[in-house]
Amino acid sequence: MSALQLLLRLPWLLLISISVLVLIGALALYSASEGSWSPWAERQLLRAAVGTVLLFLTAFIPTRWLYNWSYLGIILIVLFLAALPFIGIGVGATRWITLGPFNFQPSEPAKLAVIVALSRYLSSQTPEQMQSILTYFPVLVFITVPFSLILIQPDLGTSFMLLIGGLAVVFVAGLPRRYVLAVILAFLAGLPILWSQLYNYQKARILTFLNPDTDQLGAGYQIAQSKIALGSGGFFGKGFLMGSQSQLNYLPEKQTDFVFTMIGEEFGFIGNLAVLFTYFIILVSCLLVALRARNRFGQLLCTGISVMLFLYVFVNIGMVTGMLPVVGAPLPLISYGGTAMLTVFIGLGLVVNVAIHQHLHDNDLL
Amino acid sequence: MKKRKEQKELSSTMTRRMLMVGAGQILLGASLVGRLYQLQISQTDNYRRLSERNQFDKRLIQAPRGRLLDVHDRLLAGNSEVFELRVLPSRVADLNQWLRRVGKIVGLRPAEIKGILKTIADQPDFLEVTVRTNLTQRELSKLAVLSPVLEGVSFRKGFRRIYPQGWMTAHITGYVSPANKKDIKENPELRYLPASRIGRAGLERTFEFNLRGAAGVERIEVNAKGKPVRVLRDQQASSGEDIKLSIDVSAQSFAAERLRRGKSKTVPLENPDVQRALLNNAELRAHVTTGDSLVLQDERGRLVPPESGAATVLDIHTGEVKLLVSVPGYDPNLFSNRLSVQDWRRLSEHPRTPLLNRVTSGLYAPGSTFKMVVLAAALEAGVVSQRTKFDCTGGFEFGDSTFHCWNEKGHRYVDAVAALEQSCDVYFYQIALKTGINRIHNMAQRLGLGLTTGVGFSDEKVGIMPDRDWKMKSRGLAWTPGETVVAGIGQGFVLTTPLQLAVMTARIANRKYAVRPSLQAVTGRRDSVIFPPLDIAPEIMDVLHRGMRAVTNGSRGTARRYDLAQQGMAGKTGTVQVKRITKEQREKGIVDNIDRPWKERDHALFVAFAPYQRPKYAISLVVEHGGSGSSMAAPIARDILDHVLELDTQEAV
Repeated sequence: MSALQLLLRLPWLLLISISVLVLIGALALYSASEGSWSPWAERQLLRAAVGTVLLFLTAFIPTRWLYNWSYLGIILIVLFLAALPFIGIGVGATRWITLGPFNFQPSEPAKLAVIVALSRYLSSQTPEQMQSILTYFPVLVFITVPFSLILIQPDLGTSFMLLIGGLAVVFVAGLPRRYVLAVILAFLAGLPILWSQLYNYQKARILTFLNPDTDQLGAGYQIAQSKIALGSGGFFGKGFLMGSQSQLNYLPEKQTDFVFTMIGEEFGFIGNLAVLFTYFIILVSCLLVALRARNRFGQLLCTGISVMLFLYVFVNIGMVTGMLPVVGAPLPLISYGGTAMLTVFIGLGLVVNVAIHQHLHDNDLL
Repeated sequence: MKKRKEQKELSSTMTRRMLMVGAGQILLGASLVGRLYQLQISQTDNYRRLSERNQFDKRLIQAPRGRLLDVHDRLLAGNSEVFELRVLPSRVADLNQWLRRVGKIVGLRPAEIKGILKTIADQPDFLEVTVRTNLTQRELSKLAVLSPVLEGVSFRKGFRRIYPQGWMTAHITGYVSPANKKDIKENPELRYLPASRIGRAGLERTFEFNLRGAAGVERIEVNAKGKPVRVLRDQQASSGEDIKLSIDVSAQSFAAERLRRGKSKTVPLENPDVQRALLNNAELRAHVTTGDSLVLQDERGRLVPPESGAATVLDIHTGEVKLLVSVPGYDPNLFSNRLSVQDWRRLSEHPRTPLLNRVTSGLYAPGSTFKMVVLAAALEAGVVSQRTKFDCTGGFEFGDSTFHCWNEKGHRYVDAVAALEQSCDVYFYQIALKTGINRIHNMAQRLGLGLTTGVGFSDEKVGIMPDRDWKMKSRGLAWTPGETVVAGIGQGFVLTTPLQLAVMTARIANRKYAVRPSLQAVTGRRDSVIFPPLDIAPEIMDVLHRGMRAVTNGSRGTARRYDLAQQGMAGKTGTVQVKRITKEQREKGIVDNIDRPWKERDHALFVAFAPYQRPKYAISLVVEHGGSGSSMAAPIARDILDHVLELDTQEAV
């Protein structure tokens, strides 16, 4: 493969969109610190640089290696998750592990690891095996183990994103229709049981979501303020650094989960639409890579990563606009936060990898 | 072969499902766009308002209330700057705890905390509530240190209403007190002023709208913790209008002190006799506990409280009220903040009603001061001439009753001037009968009696000036001639205010026009003040003037010992019975006034104008239960007029 061929095969639109989002993110963080590169924007750019390196490393390693080492990720992650209650840190919920100078949140790469493991496992099943229920027992393990470990942290949002991302891979892999139905029914049946297991603050968040006006200063406060910020931004926004909600600290967590709100307040509907459109290009690029790939592993991987990215975006924006309950979900590539960002970069690196190696067939990977 | 087919099938299923996933993403993504459209375009106005409300605390800046000034710009009512502690309830999580904490520093009583909580409950929580006014420097610095941890706290410069003259001018100024729910309902603009005060009595009430001013509006950009970031002033506060009064504070205070002293000697409060008397004398105690340090010793050596009564002096040409004294008074400063229950009780249960403005709301039978009215009515009706004489034998038989003259021995033959001079009751019984009550009523009203003067107090009383219709309407009974006889000496049904008597005297003094009293200083030319004509013949006025002059100047005048030294004055005494004297008492010999209980003693009245040759001022004076008009009221009135004229000459120099 010549260098020229390689360059032509790179999904340029995807790479450009990623850069655009990183730049938007840096500007938003600059504004979030009232017009200062520190503490957030400069570190975010540094992480993006690290992320880019990781992206290209991931992109250029042979797909076969990935295929062969697929289970390593999930094993490591499950170990980390299981160790969290003993070595983890965090206020209220134990989500972080300290690795040298970094704080690392294993639940973020867990989503990716589950997708990778499922893609590997399901792409190696024959069409015949795909029809058999026995094939799906390992799938159940791949999903439920990290799901449960994250749920008990407790981190409702991430665990559900992991669950849905995993199920999407299973669905695309060709889960027979009868089982699809069964999964949906099982999911609905499980909701009340899950509800009874929730912590009070989680229940409160959901109840607040259902009746947002009941608790303006408690759980509803963040969302109320977020809606005010977005709504008052109007069509063109209040202007860069001019968002009164954000600049006067009415908006909580404006550098992380509520960064989209801040963009909306300062750049309006237009600004938000631009961000959404950029995500749209990224997601479509991922799906196009999936459709073009000649191997099932690549197809499942790209679809899974696309769903994972989509869930980040949908849950985050759904939350800040008051459509979904408050669950901690960052906006990929924009929100300040290392683990999620690097996870997304690696995930996108996998997509680029599949794009470069799209000609490979299933058999080439064995 | 079968395997190939299966693989192809799986492949197409996967492709289909990938597209389904893509479609699902686009659909859900579109719902996000829809939601953003809803928030940022459809409802943006609403959210913009909410954002504005977040961003800014709207604050109203108290406008300083207009001042009340005397004729020489001395302050009767003004403002002093004070520091206030306020709280914005919407920023405090636990108000109870907050107030308890702050209360420890500034000393809030549980009842006050209750009151503040009630105020907070009564209004929207984004409005500030005043917790304490008058913060001391010490409290201020303690609170300032704590302020970073006290949510919603703010300090504001506010104004406290002050009355530097205190009780001396209390009935002129009136007082202000915090606006209550009802006031706010009637004046919605008060709502947003946390420390609004409203005039309750006196001129504070009359001129409420001129004095109030308009609040300024200030928007303060605040961050989420309620800390101000910057201030935008939308509208300056405009202070209320200053009002310049015709009152002269030095004349006022002289008159008040002179009236209170009466005929008695002052005794220092530290005197052990005073301390002992205080234990036994509830009335004296009531005075001292309301902050009055004046104690008097009467002719019998008894310790008594200062005299109570009313005094007012009018400029007879312009109607300007030079002084308006009602004693006892009260300290209007007490009301500016929440009046304590004890203070209120002391004032409202005080035996001599300090809250009553006796000049305009005290009702007294005019007694002999009414005789000018009766004489003028009789002369105008032509039922007598000024030379007509009646023989006074000390009593007047009418029907089956005898009406006594104050002088049991009788005045013998008296004409109009002599009758006024000696205040012969029998003369006036007779001319009243001949004139008839309706003509007397008519003359009285022309001279200003039985009508409100409109001087500017909302609680001014009308009094009673009876006629036939009045009796029919109010009592359902026909008027009897005996009642005309009694009215002839200003008793019976007749009731007037001291101010009305002053107006009557002023009108007689200027001879020509129906002057009306006014508390506002005349600005510009003094002769520009025009009043309707009186239409009383000059000859009649001459008789009145000569008669009144004889009272102080004649050899038998009832106030002959109390004439004004150089310029001379003309006046009329009045001694008004409060308790009927029974036949039995009369036979035993009337008990001397001073030996009766205070409440049963006669009221002492005196009206006068001076200087006699070129009249300028009219005075009306009432000493409640003061005894005789001549010995008690006349000298006080003389001293006051003397002082007022003296002040004029000082100014002229």
